[in-house]
Amino acid sequence: MTLLEVVELTKRFGGIIAVNNVSFKIEKGEIVGLIGPNGSGKTTLVNLISGYYKPDGRRIIFEERDITNLPPEKRAKLGISRTFQNPRVVESMTALLNVAYAILGTRGEKMSLAEAGAEAMYYLEIFDLLKKRDTLAKDLAIYELRLLELARALATEPKLLMIDEAMAGLNPAEADNVVRVIERIREEFDLTIIWIEHVLRVLMRSVERVLVMDEGRLIADGPPEEVTNKPEVIEAYIGAEEEV
Amino acid sequence: MVRIETRRGRLIIDDLFGKRYEWTVEPRYWRNPIIAFLAWLVMPLVVYGVYTSAFGVVPVALLSTLVFANVLSMMTLSLGFQSIGTGRLNFGPHFFLALGGYTAALLNVNYGLNPAITLIAAFAIGAIVGLGLSPITIISRGVYFVLFTLILPLVLYQVAYWRSDIFGAETGIPGVDALFLTGDLILDLFLFLYTSLAIATIIMLIYDKVLRSKYGLLMGAVNEDEELARMYGVNAPFIKVVIFTFTSGAMAVAGWFLAHYQGSFAGPAWLTPEMLALILLTSTLAGKGAIYGQVIAAYIIVILREVLRSTSGELGLAALYIIMLVLLFVLPEGFWGLYRKRRYREYYPTIKVRKREVL
Ligand SMILES: Nc1ncnc2c1ncn2[C@@H]1O[C@H](COP(=O)(O)OP(=O)(O)OP(=O)(O)O)[C@@H](O)[C@H]1O
Ligand SMILES: [Mg+2]
Repeated sequence: MTLLEVVELTKRFGGIIAVNNVSFKIEKGEIVGLIGPNGSGKTTLVNLISGYYKPDGRRIIFEERDITNLPPEKRAKLGISRTFQNPRVVESMTALLNVAYAILGTRGEKMSLAEAGAEAMYYLEIFDLLKKRDTLAKDLAIYELRLLELARALATEPKLLMIDEAMAGLNPAEADNVVRVIERIREEFDLTIIWIEHVLRVLMRSVERVLVMDEGRLIADGPPEEVTNKPEVIEAYIGAEEEV
Repeated sequence: MVRIETRRGRLIIDDLFGKRYEWTVEPRYWRNPIIAFLAWLVMPLVVYGVYTSAFGVVPVALLSTLVFANVLSMMTLSLGFQSIGTGRLNFGPHFFLALGGYTAALLNVNYGLNPAITLIAAFAIGAIVGLGLSPITIISRGVYFVLFTLILPLVLYQVAYWRSDIFGAETGIPGVDALFLTGDLILDLFLFLYTSLAIATIIMLIYDKVLRSKYGLLMGAVNEDEELARMYGVNAPFIKVVIFTFTSGAMAVAGWFLAHYQGSFAGPAWLTPEMLALILLTSTLAGKGAIYGQVIAAYIIVILREVLRSTSGELGLAALYIIMLVLLFVLPEGFWGLYRKRRYREYYPTIKVRKREVL
């Protein structure tokens, strides 16, 4: 069953076409890597799907429903959740409350504050953050922030989880832990995942399918080993490296 | 040998006639809100008692000052609550006050409606106008929101002169029924004092209850980062509209009280930059820790203002504003922060397991 379908999606920022005529489908239960050089439009694509930006062209279909014009809070309630590349949390709230408000926002209509708090603890526990429960988010280290982002996104019980760079800024041991926990939640929570990462070596091991973007366009879509051998992809990455 | 010691927040008296007594004196366990509320309640009586016995005259001006402190509290409570729930600072709170005042005065004088009905009408008009204006909390932010709300009182001010046949310009609308008219001036004053205190208390309790609930948490999320909150399902536009509408109605209630307290209502007396500065500075000085801070700040500022004005006139008022500005820098967390210095967790509701009465 198709969970998400993106049809000829386009987003412009002034003269830049950040996402250019992108189309793909994602089946329920898939775990899909999304890669591409810096500035290729990966984050913008996540922002379009989660409703942070409105697209300039065409449609987004989630569970056979056109959500192109739905506001972000409605999409979150439908089961679309995401993390932020630059951790974005409510700094003056504790780790617990950061997760609790997301629970109340997405599925807490009939929940009390105490119930949402108990739920939040469950998700903090999964990411080994329970001991940081009462720490203000602004006092958390980058590793803990990345985990908190994941805990908050997972706590909304999403059908589609979009992870925008869970490993950036982490040391190898921390990054390994993050990978392990993502693989674990995928098993336990019956998730469909779109996963953006710069560390291709790790990503390629964990995903079954890769989408490659370059300058706003989708240039490849397929299993990791097939995609990495494509001339366009090699070109895009080498081109990007030459610029640097 | 009797031994008295304090240990771990406990006062222990040992060996007093062979017995041991222990009391917890740790301030953490005091029922501070109740103590503060009782102090608030008896303060006017104490002021009255001390003053009359010391000087032999009734402190009418002082008691009226306390009434004003209560009115200011109604405004700052609503403004503080509104800025938490909308993430925006309203520069036209006195517009809503004047709206309520005019509604009450006009309905009472022209149609003979009694204060109970004008109360409902004032709240309703405030809320309806608030609802009508509430889209500005969604479409504008920052300086645009400030400018928009800043314009509202100016417009009403001009209208009061333009249709002086209806609004009476600076003389206002006289002949509004007073809430209390017993013939005893002092008794009346006390009745007004405790009525205004009761209204401020009700408003405070409502806001406090909401802020401690899950809606308080969602309001906190909206206040801090609206886009982020929406990304996690929080219906920020809806929350902002509801909060803006209700607080606008509550601000109008302050105007209703003034009309029925002074027996008239003159918008131009309230639609001034001074009034705005007083409300804004007080509300900001209160700090955003807890809603009680608004009442404490209102009392401190109003009493300070009265003291400075009666001792040094205009110079005193100038000094007041300078003192408030200095305080803004010295107390970034406001008066409340002074009290709650290290307990930052309580900026937002703490989650407590509900206690069940054991039968
Ligand atoms: N809000 C914005 N305003 C203007 N331009 C933007 C905005 N967001 C993204 N862009 C531009 O769109 C292009 C795509 O950016 P995007 O952040 O989606 O890339 P990315 O693939 O996530 O890159 P990275 O790997 O560095 O995270 C870039 O050229 C960027 O400068
Ligand atoms: Mg990015």
